[in-house]
Amino acid sequence: MKRFVGMVITLGALLAGLVALSYAFYLAAGFCAGVAVRWGAPPSYGAAVANIVTLMLVVMMVTGSLLTVAERKWSALMQNRIGANRITVFGNPLGGIPYLLADALKMLTKEATGAASRSKFLYELAPFLSFVPVFVLFAVIPVGPEVEVLGHRISLVVASPDAGLIYIFAISSLAVYGTSLAGWASNNKLGLLGGVRASSQMIGYEVSLGLSLVGLMMAYRTLRLDEMVVAQGDAVLGPVPALGILLQPAAFLIFFASAFAETKRAPFDLPEGESEIVGYFVEYSGMKFGMMFLAEFIEIVILAGIVAALFLGGWHPVLFEGWLRASLPPVWFAAVGAGAFLAKMIVLCWLQLTIRWLLPRFRYDQIQTLCWKMLLPAGLVNVFVTGAAILLDPSLQLLAWIGLAEIVVLVAISAAAARAPAQPEPAAHLAAGHGH
Amino acid sequence: MPYDLPHDRPLTLRERIYLPEVLAGLGIVTRHFLRNLFFSRDANPDILARKGLSQNVTVQYPEEKQPYPPGYRGLHRLVPREDGKPRCVACYMCATACPAQCIYIEAGEVPGDPIEKYPTKFVIDELRCVVCGFCVEACPKDAIRMDTGEHAPPSYERKDQIWDEKRLLRGAPVSYQYDPWLRRGAPSIPPADLEKMRAAAKPFHTVATDEASQTPGFSVKALAAEAKSRGR
Repeated sequence: MKRFVGMVITLGALLAGLVALSYAFYLAAGFCAGVAVRWGAPPSYGAAVANIVTLMLVVMMVTGSLLTVAERKWSALMQNRIGANRITVFGNPLGGIPYLLADALKMLTKEATGAASRSKFLYELAPFLSFVPVFVLFAVIPVGPEVEVLGHRISLVVASPDAGLIYIFAISSLAVYGTSLAGWASNNKLGLLGGVRASSQMIGYEVSLGLSLVGLMMAYRTLRLDEMVVAQGDAVLGPVPALGILLQPAAFLIFFASAFAETKRAPFDLPEGESEIVGYFVEYSGMKFGMMFLAEFIEIVILAGIVAALFLGGWHPVLFEGWLRASLPPVWFAAVGAGAFLAKMIVLCWLQLTIRWLLPRFRYDQIQTLCWKMLLPAGLVNVFVTGAAILLDPSLQLLAWIGLAEIVVLVAISAAAARAPAQPEPAAHLAAGHGH
Repeated sequence: MPYDLPHDRPLTLRERIYLPEVLAGLGIVTRHFLRNLFFSRDANPDILARKGLSQNVTVQYPEEKQPYPPGYRGLHRLVPREDGKPRCVACYMCATACPAQCIYIEAGEVPGDPIEKYPTKFVIDELRCVVCGFCVEACPKDAIRMDTGEHAPPSYERKDQIWDEKRLLRGAPVSYQYDPWLRRGAPSIPPADLEKMRAAAKPFHTVATDEASQTPGFSVKALAAEAKSRGR
């Protein structure tokens, strides 16, 4: 009971903390915009610098690092264990967070080994090439709405280029260079095979990744993520807002699966599976390995951010939005919105870790089958259905009804799957008297 | 016949769609996660008897320990008499029986007594011990037992694993009415103590009873009752 109350308080404090943090981010961005104006630069420059520091270095890096601990603790909770709790601070394990420092210290102080015959420049370059693309992806994710802070129009997004989604596809496809170069430059056959597996998987899934979002581009008539998020606040189907997951549930699943394959984690961890499959970074040690490892976790955060922005309404709190907007000062409403976005992001990170501990690894042919024979045709069909629905009814109502029908069918089948009795064993070999 | 491996059955349509099964599994994992997140772990070392909504099965070993089962052969002890001296008479039976040769004894004569011996040194190297229990079987005086219910504690130094008579002599004292030092008295025991020890001494049992049990928690009576209830 004590733990229950403590957990409820902790979760409440977490939500409040996210809102307070967002408010601080807005103030920082407003302050930096003011500084930029005093130096004769456009205020958006100052806000962008502040957002790089707050969003990319604080939110993304800290979340990504904490996920390394969360993976241990959350997987432990899923498996009825306790998880890492041996490092204590004044007798309190603090949820395993001190392990972060121990891990970082270990990574930084380990000997940097490498094959003697490696291709030195590319070998050193590969960790950066796998880390940087995922790092810069967060720049276009709109964390908070635009609002006036300290006399400047500020929104919690580093940059909102018109290319938007195209930027995401372009940059995320650069990550494959890191993995394939790591495999090739380390002059290790197994590493090279891992790199080849990684590149074939990542390039394959990029097709369905891009195709899945075409429907959203058509529905919201924009490529900019911030405009997409704004468009998700419009009501469709009565009071229900036009969330991406309502309009495009099939695209959500396709995008989620494809992006999951891009992160190279279980069940798609064929490029590198911790204990079983030698992968592309087999020749890396110390912090060079750590960067690839961290890039994987940051990819989780990025994926969570993109999904939250595109499909779950971004910074729209969804519940009580009208009441919140009416009763709170605009800056605080924006902070609540950004806090809601961060909360959605954390939940999606949790979902990804859960799936990683839930599903067994796919076989290699299954991965390619899933990509080319299932996700790609499904994405194509989704594009045509979405296009037809928008053509027939530009108010998106028809699209929303189609999406709702898809969700209902999926939920019905899943509920039946959860309640289905176990299949009886075939009678033939029971009768043969085995089983002792 | 070894286990009959389940034969592959053709997947149903729902399983081939895969996604519903994934979602169902996600529900199961989420249920585990939430229960273990929100509810505290019952620290009962008997895992199957744990209560509460948390399904956690961890035993935090050094802090929490599962008791060893009855009959567990643990760390040796030299059984003391009522006056705190070892029951051991330095007969070397255990050292002779020991297959690992881990027991070293030096015998000394009790001053003023023409018969009685005692171990001036009784050393067991717990690193060599194979925990077979032959020393306990061999002992004619019930002077060495392995009923401490614990194992040799870890140490940073090898020499800490060599237990001498000072460390080994511990636990509850034992006296039997047939003990020669009780029947005829001994110069090492003051007469007042002798009366007390005679009063505390138990008869020596030729069959296993609960009173003579060497293992805490072991009950012949309970075993007999259980066998009776099974109808044997």
